[in-house]
Amino acid sequence: MINSSLIKNSRYGLSKRLKLDKVVLLMALFFLLLLPVLVWHNDYILQVFTHALLLATLALAWNILGVSGSISLGHAAFFGAGAYASALLSLDSGLSVWLTIPLAGFITTGLGFIMGLICMRLRGAYFALATLAFIEIPRVVTDNWDGLTHGSLGLVGLPGFPSLHLGSWHIDFYSSITASYYLILIYSLVLLGLVGFIFRSNLGLALQAIREEEVAAEAVGIRANSFRLLSMLLSAFFTGISGACYAHLVRYINPGLVYGLHFSAIPMIFAICGGRFTIIGPALAALIIYPLDQFIFHPLIPAGHEFLYGAVLIFAVLFMPAGFWGRMQRNTEVGLFTKSSSSGI
Amino acid sequence: MWTTVLVSGISLGSFYTLIALGFALIFGVTRNFNLAHGELLVLAGYVAYWLWKVCALPFVFTFPVAILVLLLVCLGLQRLFARLSEPLELNSIVLSFGVAIVIQNSMLFLFSGNYRLIRIPSLNQGIRFHGFYMSYGQLTLLLLSLIIIFLLYIIMYRTYLGKALRATIQDKEAAALAGINVAVMGTLAFCLGAVLIGLAGPLYGCIHYLYPSTGREVTLLAITITIFAGVGRLSGIILAGWILGLAESFTVIFCGASWREMVAAVLLLTLLTFRPHGILGDKL
Repeated sequence: MINSSLIKNSRYGLSKRLKLDKVVLLMALFFLLLLPVLVWHNDYILQVFTHALLLATLALAWNILGVSGSISLGHAAFFGAGAYASALLSLDSGLSVWLTIPLAGFITTGLGFIMGLICMRLRGAYFALATLAFIEIPRVVTDNWDGLTHGSLGLVGLPGFPSLHLGSWHIDFYSSITASYYLILIYSLVLLGLVGFIFRSNLGLALQAIREEEVAAEAVGIRANSFRLLSMLLSAFFTGISGACYAHLVRYINPGLVYGLHFSAIPMIFAICGGRFTIIGPALAALIIYPLDQFIFHPLIPAGHEFLYGAVLIFAVLFMPAGFWGRMQRNTEVGLFTKSSSSGI
Repeated sequence: MWTTVLVSGISLGSFYTLIALGFALIFGVTRNFNLAHGELLVLAGYVAYWLWKVCALPFVFTFPVAILVLLLVCLGLQRLFARLSEPLELNSIVLSFGVAIVIQNSMLFLFSGNYRLIRIPSLNQGIRFHGFYMSYGQLTLLLLSLIIIFLLYIIMYRTYLGKALRATIQDKEAAALAGINVAVMGTLAFCLGAVLIGLAGPLYGCIHYLYPSTGREVTLLAITITIFAGVGRLSGIILAGWILGLAESFTVIFCGASWREMVAAVLLLTLLTFRPHGILGDKL
């Protein structure tokens, strides 16, 4: 008996559906590229979308770890560490921001290594809890080490991105929101390309194998702990860079802000709602949900509008475990977490 | 110095045990981590604050109302958690994370972010005894917590219902084979947890400022104590609560109050690194 779903998934049907996906993506890309023109350089809308793109990069970086099946609730530790590292380096030693951002990424990778050493032997729920607990350590240290980090008051007057002179073009990031927007857009596109490259490489295959069935992956020779550690380091690196970009975009940080729930929960929420098994899903979720929250819910409910993130997370967990982009890609054959073993070690 | 550490550690630790009991019960019976636990506690605190401040209800009468509100909320939560599939622990963490965000923002919307405190002046006086000082607040906390823990002990270890709950905690399938309705046990666990949170919430409002995002650290406390104690042993939770309370008091008095928040986190991470199945409990 011919299974009708087999026909639906056959070459012909697949290619038709793929075209729709590509059209959507192309439209999104054009929208983003032409956004400043479309909104007549409206600063507020551009700022919202710049922040949305930054969150998209965070979600993409989170998903590098998420594709291995590890749910990390503590990426704010990396975000805050990257922000503070870059801020302190550029404030105190006067290094150029273009230099401190990658340096912050490397420092954050060091922090990720420490977290990896602590957490790598854990699985599933206990890994998530360990990462949840781990945020406290950089946060409390930053809060209390007044001599280094100026404590809970935060750092003000951080240098922004230095002006670029390309031939006759003079790009000033201070005065031009459009320039910052394009900078973050370029960063997110580059990160998207990198993440796509990682997911399609052997590393990505190994991570997916670990996610699906760890015992079988180990049997084939994939050392789960090593690959998960590697994915955590990569994830930490890009999260740190995003944190550094945030510090120099907003030019004010304090521990409560950068180590807070906002930057810890939201990448996870975007990744799960967008599609943990896809490459671009997290970024798309960021670009849809965050502007939705800012443009529609924030004016309606000035205090408490962030319930939207909790609501979409609950909806995704219960009804769309593969995320809306994963659903479009017909990745529905997997549940939210496919691992059959749920114990800690 | 040391008596202060001891007094504050034990009284605070007993309170932490009370907080963690609800979480441990729900986790033990249904294997659902409820990351919204802290937010529920703060919700109970806010309900008590509102009743005490706006409706001028005497503080003792806020307990039943808080328990009722929490019962309703927890029954709703149980409906959500019942829809989860394997692996329960991880799914419930993510789901309850979302629920926590929703509850936190609802409280922000309803009560605003201002710090609230239930001030009962008589609790600040205390008893002095040869250089040993214990405030009435700490005494109330200690006694109330011990009484409630004792009542829970009676329920869990001296009644047939408690036996059924303990059986479900030990092995769900075997309990089902023995004729215990596991789904009902799960609902019952949520209800008991709601009662415990409803009792602990108003007390929390007395000793700690209430603001929407304070639930985070409470959840971390509950998680630490539950994992410390392992699953299925009441004595483990009491011991874990006291150890955490003493560790925090020690840190506050000798290192400064700002390092307090790190104690639970460091304890949890150390536990998870070396003994993920708890100090006293069996394999999770």
